[in-house]
Amino acid sequence: MGNKRYGMLYDSNACIGCQACSIACRGENKVHDDVHRLQVRIEGPKGEYPNLRMDFHRQSCVMCDNAPCVPVCPTGASYTNEEGINMVDEKKCVGCGYCITACPYQARYLDPKTGVADKCTFCYENRVKQDEKPACVSICPTNALIFGDLNDSNSEICKAIKKQATVKYKESLNTNPKLIVIPNRHGGEK
Amino acid sequence: MINKISRRTFLKLSGATAVTVAMASNLNKNVLFAADEVKKKEVKKVRTFCEMCTVRCSMEVRVADGKIDFVGGNPDWSATGGTICARGGSSLSQVYDKQRVQKPLIRQGQRGENKWKEVSWDEAYDYIAKKMAEIKENYGPETMAFSCRGGMHKKYMDTFANAYGSPNTFTHESTCPFARTVARDIIFGTNGVDIDYGNVKYLITLGRNYFEGIHVPQARNVMNALRKGAKLVSIDPRFSVTSAKADEWHPIKPGTDLAFVLALTHVIIRDNLYDKEFIDTFTVGFEQIKDSVSATTPEWAEKETGIAAKDIERIAKEFVAMKPKAVLDWGWRTATSPEEIELRRAAIHVNLLIGNCEVPGGIFFTKNAAMLNQLIGSNVVPSIQSPKLPKFPKMKPRVDGAGVKGDPNYFIPKGDGVVHYIPEAILTEKPYPIKGWFVYRNNPMISQSNTNRVREALMKLDLLVVCDLYLTDTGHLADVILPESTFLEREEGFNDATGGSPKYTLRQKVVDPIYDTKTNWQIFKELGEKMGLGSYFPWKNMDEMRLLQMSGRKELVEQAKEKGFVEFKMPALYLRDPKSVAAFVEKFPTAAAQVNEKGIIPGPLLHLKTPSKKMEMGSIEVEELFPGREVPRYRTVKLKEDDQLYFLQGKVAVHTNAHTHNVPWLNELMPENRLWINPETATKRGLSNGDKVEISSAFGKQPATLLISKGIRQDSVFTYFGFGRNAPGMKRAHQKGTNSNILLPTEFTPVCAMSLHTVGIDIKKI
Repeated sequence: MGNKRYGMLYDSNACIGCQACSIACRGENKVHDDVHRLQVRIEGPKGEYPNLRMDFHRQSCVMCDNAPCVPVCPTGASYTNEEGINMVDEKKCVGCGYCITACPYQARYLDPKTGVADKCTFCYENRVKQDEKPACVSICPTNALIFGDLNDSNSEICKAIKKQATVKYKESLNTNPKLIVIPNRHGGEK
Repeated sequence: MINKISRRTFLKLSGATAVTVAMASNLNKNVLFAADEVKKKEVKKVRTFCEMCTVRCSMEVRVADGKIDFVGGNPDWSATGGTICARGGSSLSQVYDKQRVQKPLIRQGQRGENKWKEVSWDEAYDYIAKKMAEIKENYGPETMAFSCRGGMHKKYMDTFANAYGSPNTFTHESTCPFARTVARDIIFGTNGVDIDYGNVKYLITLGRNYFEGIHVPQARNVMNALRKGAKLVSIDPRFSVTSAKADEWHPIKPGTDLAFVLALTHVIIRDNLYDKEFIDTFTVGFEQIKDSVSATTPEWAEKETGIAAKDIERIAKEFVAMKPKAVLDWGWRTATSPEEIELRRAAIHVNLLIGNCEVPGGIFFTKNAAMLNQLIGSNVVPSIQSPKLPKFPKMKPRVDGAGVKGDPNYFIPKGDGVVHYIPEAILTEKPYPIKGWFVYRNNPMISQSNTNRVREALMKLDLLVVCDLYLTDTGHLADVILPESTFLEREEGFNDATGGSPKYTLRQKVVDPIYDTKTNWQIFKELGEKMGLGSYFPWKNMDEMRLLQMSGRKELVEQAKEKGFVEFKMPALYLRDPKSVAAFVEKFPTAAAQVNEKGIIPGPLLHLKTPSKKMEMGSIEVEELFPGREVPRYRTVKLKEDDQLYFLQGKVAVHTNAHTHNVPWLNELMPENRLWINPETATKRGLSNGDKVEISSAFGKQPATLLISKGIRQDSVFTYFGFGRNAPGMKRAHQKGTNSNILLPTEFTPVCAMSLHTVGIDIKKI
């Protein structure tokens, strides 16, 4: 058995932008007021009336394989764990903000209360280690999220990825995110 | 506050491990969330059901060291699959909100002056009991009105009201889904009819916004149907999230949906595409329908609706091609026309025409205990029982005439009444005055149209009691505020969550009340006892009530405490689907007597509680009270002047009606609404994105902030409702955004007495 490599599949067609995930994340991870580890953003309407569309975007850490936030960290607080999840060791973080500047996805913030860099962890410590799904995945009303091991070709996530075209946000940066996205199939033009 | 102290300073000050602990002791707002990683927390999970909207999803709440830690869905609840929406998840922030009313309050100074005295529950009860006795003495008990959102609490409120001598109890229904309710009652003799969204293959929605007006089971089922390739057609003046997920969007002219529906009906009948056998066997009124749609051609409808005739023809044919797994959703609330009742009836008729009733992917009757027990011929499933009560005193007729034979409101269910008639009764004193109003978690100042008139009425009352979580807009004008515990702090009974099969959810207390608050049944029982009406509450507590509700079957109560609900493993039954009928009979052989030669169970569908016992597409009863309305007919209505804009509203996924706007986490997601306006319209009127404007109608005016969006017709503006609060006690929501109801008229639309939610408005820059 090799290491696990955790990933998440976000079906932007099934996402309705209801923010249930954002709230579940706030509850589960005790995210403080005025900051978010996770939101879903409704973009649009785009196109020309009446041929319109809306795109749905998951705004959170995308769990890069080549994470720009890790090498810039002067104290080693930002690191990638053995299961591919980018973490922040709050004991080592000095709140310098380099990782926040380096992140091309605007996924990180300095916590207003603790002064420590924070972001989505796929609920690694509090849920995944106990074999539970991340909070957002467990409560998504339309099941727009699948979480699992990208190294296991029999996992639900790998099977789902094989079935359809997927993209990764800002793929050209060679960050190779493990948040994988099924793009909008609804075009505006008919 | 230590916000300003950086992490670096902390590291200098103390050992790193001590930091979180040191912070925890200093923080006030986030004590609850201070991560205490050293000590192992004592964690328990409690199952209950939600009250952040009226869908009432079963939920599982995690409690750590006596504090609510996480609110999720109940993984055993199949309707939601363990999921939960943002409102349900945010309920914990409501529990610990310091802006909740924390003790009973009695008004000091003038009404609406926002001066209060904190009192004990006993003092508050004494005050109410004395005032209610005076009202009874001076004007009669019927002059007290009682209103609430529907729910388990309603029976306690009704008992209290009826025992006191008032028949005037209300829900909020007439301000929201009433046309649909009354339409279903007229056609089916019951309101217990639903749509099998998960199996549908072609779904047409008339503004029913599955993905923003969130009903989690519906949203899931519609999304699952779309995943399986179902086609969704959205007919809506606005490009909603539902429109965005649909295969086609037709921005219909507001108020003309009925023309679109009648044109579909026309095509289906003209081309003989209807299910003749179903129509002949199970319905009455087809000939009248046929006659009424002879001229409602797609070409005619194009002129009314703006939807191309060829599209209407095509949609009708695509719809029929998918029968019986095709549904035209009857929807609710949009109320873009006073012809609401005819729209909802006509929409149901389209379903009946293709015979999609009681088959998978169509429409179905609720399979409650009574129906199943009757089919099986024995008592297999218990119903929720009620306590036996002494006889109520003789009461005057209802103030709104609901359910009274010969009254225009005859079709209105007595259990709901016309709640927005209360202000009219207060002001006009017809047929008799209302002098006191007990408002139980219902907020007429936000939920009822024509807010200025509602306010005028409230100011005239002798007694206004408001029982709620917050000092709401209506509470602001009250004489007494009774703070209720939030649903996570309440021990309550069973709720009937029956849909396709009987299910009863249980409300369990997750944490003790954190403020000096009480639970609905406790309030009505204690107040009743205070007023000498204790014999109407002949039970001690919820342990006793739950056992009584489950006919003394302890094992069911225990099961519900553990699982959050009781269910009775019944195979899915569609009465006109031979496959599911066969599976049902295999499990319950005695039901075989009900099955006919075609392998279906027609009996219940031929013994409906309608005058003809069949499904009434045409209704003689309606014709008698409202001549010309035996079947729906199109009537042109004028909703606005030419230079005005249609003012439309709708629901948003992160708020519920007049309820959640001050809940901390939800307020943070969406503190205010904006007014959607088409770019062309904005340009013509010299308006830009973000402009502050004043919008006005014949009934009132409101400030608004513009959002330029291509997702709205040029002749309309749109906003999400429930904002624009005038309630200083709700600090987050106070005076944020636009209160849409200030602009809307007082209207009782024919047959269903429903509010009208569309009006013409003028707009000017401020």
